[in-house]
Amino acid sequence: MHITSPVRTPLVTGGKTYADVTEDICRHVEGKPTKEWKVAFTISLLVLLYGAACVAWTWWEGLGVWGLNKTVGWAWDITNFVWWVGIGHAGTLISAVLLLFRQKWRTSINRAAEAMTIFAVLCAASFIVMHMGRPWLAYWALPLPNTFGSLWVNFNSPLVWDVFAISTYFSVSCLFWFVGLVPDLATIRDRAKNKVSKYIYGALSLGWNGSAKAWARYEYISLILAGLSTPLVLSVHTIVSMDFATSVIPGWHTTIFPPYFVAGAIFSGFAMVQTLMLVTRVVYKLEDYITLEHIESMNKIITLTGSIVGVAYLTEFFIAWYSGVEYETYAFVNRATGPYWWAYWAMMTCNVISPQLFWSRSIRRSVKWTFFISIIVNIGMWFERFVIIVTSLHRDYIPSSWAMFSPTMFDIGDYIFSFGFFFTCFFLFSKYLPVINMAEVKAIVKSSSEKLPKKVSGVAKGERVSAPTFNKDAQ
Amino acid sequence: MSAHHHEAVSVEEQFEFTSESKRQLAIGFGIGVVLVLIGAYLLANGGGGHEAAHGAAAHGAEHAHGAAGHHEYKWTTRLWANLWTNSIYFTGISVIGMFFICYNYLAQAGWSVVFKRIPEAMPAFLPVTGLLMLLTFFVAGHDMFHWTQEGITDPKSANYDAIIAGKSAFLNTPFYIIRLVIYFTLWYGLWRVLRSFSLKEDLEGGTEYYEKSIKFGVAFLVVFAITSSTAAWDFVMSIDTHWFSTMFGWYTLASWHVAGLAVMTLTVVTLKERGYLQAVNESHLHDLGKFCFAFTVFWTYVWFAQFLLIYYANLPEEAIYYRERFSGYGGIFKGPFFINIILNFFVPFLVLMTRDAKRTTRVLKVACWSIIVGHYFDFWNNVMPGTVGEHAGFGPVEFGFILMFATAFIWSVSTQLTKANLIPRNHPMLEESLHHDIA
Amino acid sequence: MAESTGKFLVGVYDDDDVILEAVGKVKQAGVKIHEVYSPFAIHGMDVAIGHPRTRIGIAAFMFGVTGLACGLALILWTMGFDWPMIIGGKDPISFPNYVPVLFEMTVLFTAFGMTFTFFISNGFGPTVKPLLFDPRCTDNKFVMAIDLSKNKLSEAEIATVLKSSGAEEVSVKQV
Repeated sequence: MHITSPVRTPLVTGGKTYADVTEDICRHVEGKPTKEWKVAFTISLLVLLYGAACVAWTWWEGLGVWGLNKTVGWAWDITNFVWWVGIGHAGTLISAVLLLFRQKWRTSINRAAEAMTIFAVLCAASFIVMHMGRPWLAYWALPLPNTFGSLWVNFNSPLVWDVFAISTYFSVSCLFWFVGLVPDLATIRDRAKNKVSKYIYGALSLGWNGSAKAWARYEYISLILAGLSTPLVLSVHTIVSMDFATSVIPGWHTTIFPPYFVAGAIFSGFAMVQTLMLVTRVVYKLEDYITLEHIESMNKIITLTGSIVGVAYLTEFFIAWYSGVEYETYAFVNRATGPYWWAYWAMMTCNVISPQLFWSRSIRRSVKWTFFISIIVNIGMWFERFVIIVTSLHRDYIPSSWAMFSPTMFDIGDYIFSFGFFFTCFFLFSKYLPVINMAEVKAIVKSSSEKLPKKVSGVAKGERVSAPTFNKDAQ
Repeated sequence: MSAHHHEAVSVEEQFEFTSESKRQLAIGFGIGVVLVLIGAYLLANGGGGHEAAHGAAAHGAEHAHGAAGHHEYKWTTRLWANLWTNSIYFTGISVIGMFFICYNYLAQAGWSVVFKRIPEAMPAFLPVTGLLMLLTFFVAGHDMFHWTQEGITDPKSANYDAIIAGKSAFLNTPFYIIRLVIYFTLWYGLWRVLRSFSLKEDLEGGTEYYEKSIKFGVAFLVVFAITSSTAAWDFVMSIDTHWFSTMFGWYTLASWHVAGLAVMTLTVVTLKERGYLQAVNESHLHDLGKFCFAFTVFWTYVWFAQFLLIYYANLPEEAIYYRERFSGYGGIFKGPFFINIILNFFVPFLVLMTRDAKRTTRVLKVACWSIIVGHYFDFWNNVMPGTVGEHAGFGPVEFGFILMFATAFIWSVSTQLTKANLIPRNHPMLEESLHHDIA
Repeated sequence: MAESTGKFLVGVYDDDDVILEAVGKVKQAGVKIHEVYSPFAIHGMDVAIGHPRTRIGIAAFMFGVTGLACGLALILWTMGFDWPMIIGGKDPISFPNYVPVLFEMTVLFTAFGMTFTFFISNGFGPTVKPLLFDPRCTDNKFVMAIDLSKNKLSEAEIATVLKSSGAEEVSVKQV
């Protein structure tokens, strides 16, 4: 027996039955694409095409088309990489950590968040491949014997750690996402009207039939994958942070980087999930599943992680002074008052101050404010990486080599590419796959509904109403 | 709801602090006092402990401290250093009780309600450790904290140290004492508020106190977010005054946290074995075990990240910290350095890995003891090299102080437990907690 | 999981709590339940039916150790023996630097190993035709299947038991 305390707020509104859940989610997969979807998809495809042209030119012409120079050897490329990887943390966090903590509100958002994770990690990886300049030699990053052209990879290098971390994270996230999709794909299979979709969803659902044995194993494997993914999420951004922190560059070499990067990643990832879910919720009319409670809970996490990041900023600044190391102190003073002061203060305002607005209950329950701040946060998190990378590099130990960085249209165009790619993927996902985990939402309908229908199973709509042999309730 | 039958468990339980337990604790405390006295006698006469080896290497490491005019070592410093180590360790364990309750309120956790009185009883010990720390600082601050030395910020003095002088805006005696008082006042004061809500809720019911507790709980978390880091710098990092690490605050918090969880788990298990808290079922134990497991891994993560970055970059001003602990002072800290990792990572990690282990009280006890002893070593290893250096060791003094602190802490917790029903009978999430079932 | 063939009696239920209780009642009436199918996981169902607890957890440890060993072998051989390199003043074999990759390898092996264990133990595959006693069990209904060949009671008797345990519909299905 499961008891839910009366002080808990409902997570599903509108008196949904199990059949309603199926219907509300599946109809977007089964129906024809709407006009809004077609317009949005076309736009993102055009953006992708423009971006792809920029990337193609970057490869054809070489990395000289970027604004890098001898002093600032990493700028937008790595900024974008870290930014996307960070965004790619929320999905697994929501699914894995919140599953381990048994936070029921995760059920409505985990599917889309995981999908977002996968696309964001792909975007991040694209910058690594871009940065290679010669993408056809990308396999040199793998541990292949010396006869393949390169030496063995150097396992002391955090960049090699990154190859392992990102590829492990990407593939494990895909597994986790897919395992969660299987029961829902089976639901779509059993509702499918035409042969093609019956075949495709049938193949993807692997023969799932919802037996008690299968469910027991499903729950078990979910916990195992969650238990593995949780340290994995931490490790990925930890290792990304070590790309910087293992060096001796002032502003990069600081021991708090690993957990601070992880907190920042979760922060920006949740903001991106907010942005996407607020749109999806309206377009797909999912207000009963993604309620103000969900939005509020996510906003609380945004405030929490934003504050952790804030504490880390202050710690870094304080210790830079406390250390008495001249270079370290200068790196931080230069951030706040040097030529890139605007980037630093943009970061501080967006990341530390803006999420504090959520202390107000009316702001954190306001859809408009939430949408606005979620975008502000991601702008801030982009600036954070820019500040860390560019302001640390542009003035380090030798003043004679100090330099400035300014982006070219290919820095910008290659960044735009990732947006085109991300949204193209996300729109395809939201059209062809269920955006909400139906099985998990059904499992909380009873315990977390605002009001329960008289018969919780409900009456299946759609085809089975016209073919009542399957559904006697329809009479 | 469904008609599943759960045997009705009583939520009316009164903890009895028996005179027998009191007697045992008093005897334990007395033995502690005697051990410390014996140890002090031996130290005063230049014996006892394992610190006999005064290698040349030890002196080399000491010079790395950069102190031109190093103090003459006094044998009493070891007593004060022990008092300090135990005080910060038990401060941490106590305040984690408050931290646990507060984040459970914030996260709207229901499962933990049934044993909420245990973390709630822990912070009552804070005034004891707070006063002892003030005392220690006043009496022996000069012998333990390099930055308090006479003339250290005065360029004309023989003791002048430019780096430490640069930190004096933060590390100066008045500000330090103000901070110390602020930490304890805020932590203890906010606990008193939450505790009074909790006791009133027990009598009056309703959700009013629950809502209020969430607000004050969040207030504590905001306070603790900052003070946990600054306290770690003050209590521990400032001992090795030249050294710095941005991770140190969170590393200390991680250490305190997992030690606090272990103490909580051990208390729950012990009470259950003595016939109390029958409403605590295997699922609660399983979840407590998971907490211990997860935050063991988290501590290891933070510990390792700090170590790896310093090891990798190998900057002399940072690496000295591990050098001292690894090969300095004749290598006496190398053993505890590894004991730290073994007791705080390998033992609990391997022991708590399986599901059944987390549900078995015997296994939980092994893991908890390993964590509790292990994190004592963690703090011991952070405090001792910078305070007593090659004079450190394990002798009657160390065991005596541990015994005194442990018995006093148990006494304090037991007294608190008698003050209210052992289960918060009117907590709005209690039903959820009583039916907690994760199979 | 090899599904048996034969004649089955299929009870369709409306409510997850009802079917969970029904499992107990049906078992008490001496009927052996083949399996229960539901659109979402019902907590405690496998225990109620009497399925043994899933033991795939043991595999996880094995996969983890394998991943760790493979990672260790790879790094030690390449960095320590095949082409030793001194980088950043560290010994060719410097364990702290190898921890990140070793961790990733452990997780990678465990996650893939466990997912495929999950697929295999469920008999999953892209070409597998699912055995569905009633297709609504992936939508909103809860289905209990009784293998008639494995039960001593007659079809009619079992149907009565199912009905009285709360089944909305009872039908016979040949698979």
